[in-house]
Amino acid sequence: MRLLAIIILLIFIAAGIVLGALNADLVGYDLAFARVKLPKGAALLGAVVIGWLLGGLTAWLGVSSRQRRQHRQQSRADKKLPAQP
Amino acid sequence: MNLMYVLALLVPVAFVLGWWASRQVGARRSGAEVSELSSDYFRGLNYLLNEEQDKAIEVFLKLAEYNRDTVETHLALGNLFRRRGEVDRAIRLHQHLVSRPGLSDAMKTVALLELGEDYMRAGLLDRAEALFSDLVAMDAHAPSALRHLIAIYQHERDWHKAIEHARRLEVMTGEDEAPMIAQFYCELADRSRQHGARAEARDYLHQAFECQPDCVRAFMLTGRLQSEDGHHVEAVTAYEAAVAADIAFTPEILPPLLNSYAHSQQMERAEGFLRSMLERYHGVSPVLALTHLYRQRDGERAAIDFLTTQLRLRPSVRGLMALIDATMDKIEGEARENFLILRDLTKKLLEGQAMYRCSRCGFGAKAHHWQCPSCKSWSTIRPIHGVASE
Repeated sequence: MRLLAIIILLIFIAAGIVLGALNADLVGYDLAFARVKLPKGAALLGAVVIGWLLGGLTAWLGVSSRQRRQHRQQSRADKKLPAQP
Repeated sequence: MNLMYVLALLVPVAFVLGWWASRQVGARRSGAEVSELSSDYFRGLNYLLNEEQDKAIEVFLKLAEYNRDTVETHLALGNLFRRRGEVDRAIRLHQHLVSRPGLSDAMKTVALLELGEDYMRAGLLDRAEALFSDLVAMDAHAPSALRHLIAIYQHERDWHKAIEHARRLEVMTGEDEAPMIAQFYCELADRSRQHGARAEARDYLHQAFECQPDCVRAFMLTGRLQSEDGHHVEAVTAYEAAVAADIAFTPEILPPLLNSYAHSQQMERAEGFLRSMLERYHGVSPVLALTHLYRQRDGERAAIDFLTTQLRLRPSVRGLMALIDATMDKIEGEARENFLILRDLTKKLLEGQAMYRCSRCGFGAKAHHWQCPSCKSWSTIRPIHGVASE
């Protein structure tokens, strides 16, 4: 399983290098506050990386906020413990 | 322009992939936690099985810290604390469980039941009673709660409430609780007898017989009541019925029965009954009773002959002691000294012996109890049969 993952990763890296080499010409972006010129390959890679990071961050934030909420509820319940008889 | 479309498509696709990958990693990590919990759980279980409760508590405490939602772990911990006698900790833990928000009703009632047991162990019977009564009212774990309530009422000697709850338990579970209820009526009858309310005592005995027609204790109490009222013939009938109901209680029944025979001057009937007992009962009590009877009627020689014959058939230390006592007057000199030593020895041997044993829990006792002091079950303490005892 791990070997398969490494092979797929290598294929994607190779594809990235090839695509980067084939699309080396610059393309201009107007970001309203700045104008940047990037190679086409880098733009593609940047889009993939930004999308991936945003997706991962969203999932992580969802899980951690739920855990924090449960923890807070538990702490409140602990404080409400009745006195020892 | 084409590139912009590709980029616009790539960002959401990568977003979804990143979101999915993050969830996968999270799931794998929590899986690792679960397996860690499982290994801890089994380690704790192993300690429990090895009777190493200190270590088990340590492991379960750690487990409870990891996963505060694991109600079962908390329940196991509470049980352990209670068993070790740390009732205050068990109570706090179970109270904490009960007050936990979001706990399912089923789990809450289990925790309440455990808390009630903690209170019982701590001797806070009023609190335990209130809890168990609530559980019965909620119809949650009602049979267990009813059993605990019956135990509480037995402890408080509130026999009326014990009877009421035992009847409810009988209806709820379909199990036959009649022998236990008969014992409760016998307790009431005995109490009335001691307070001089003889008609009330008879009424309770009547109810005991309705529950269990062959209740030995009820027959014995009837015999005692009749004997105290001077109706010795009726007392004899009741005591004989007690022997017929359960022959194992012969050592308890014979002394008052012989007394009633003597008072009603029915020594022929006594001999016939004891003779028939010799065939049915293998203990030494009827032999000793017959020896006493023959000594009074036919003289010392006949008694010793009978005892010697019987001791060959059923060797017994109590029988040997009776033989030594009977022959002591006829012996003099060095032999007498030896007999005295032998008598002291047998006396000491009998002093250290438990004469009764609970057939349910094995509790040994020197005196007879209708309720076992250890396991609290009724009518299970019986005479031990053997050379050194009955």
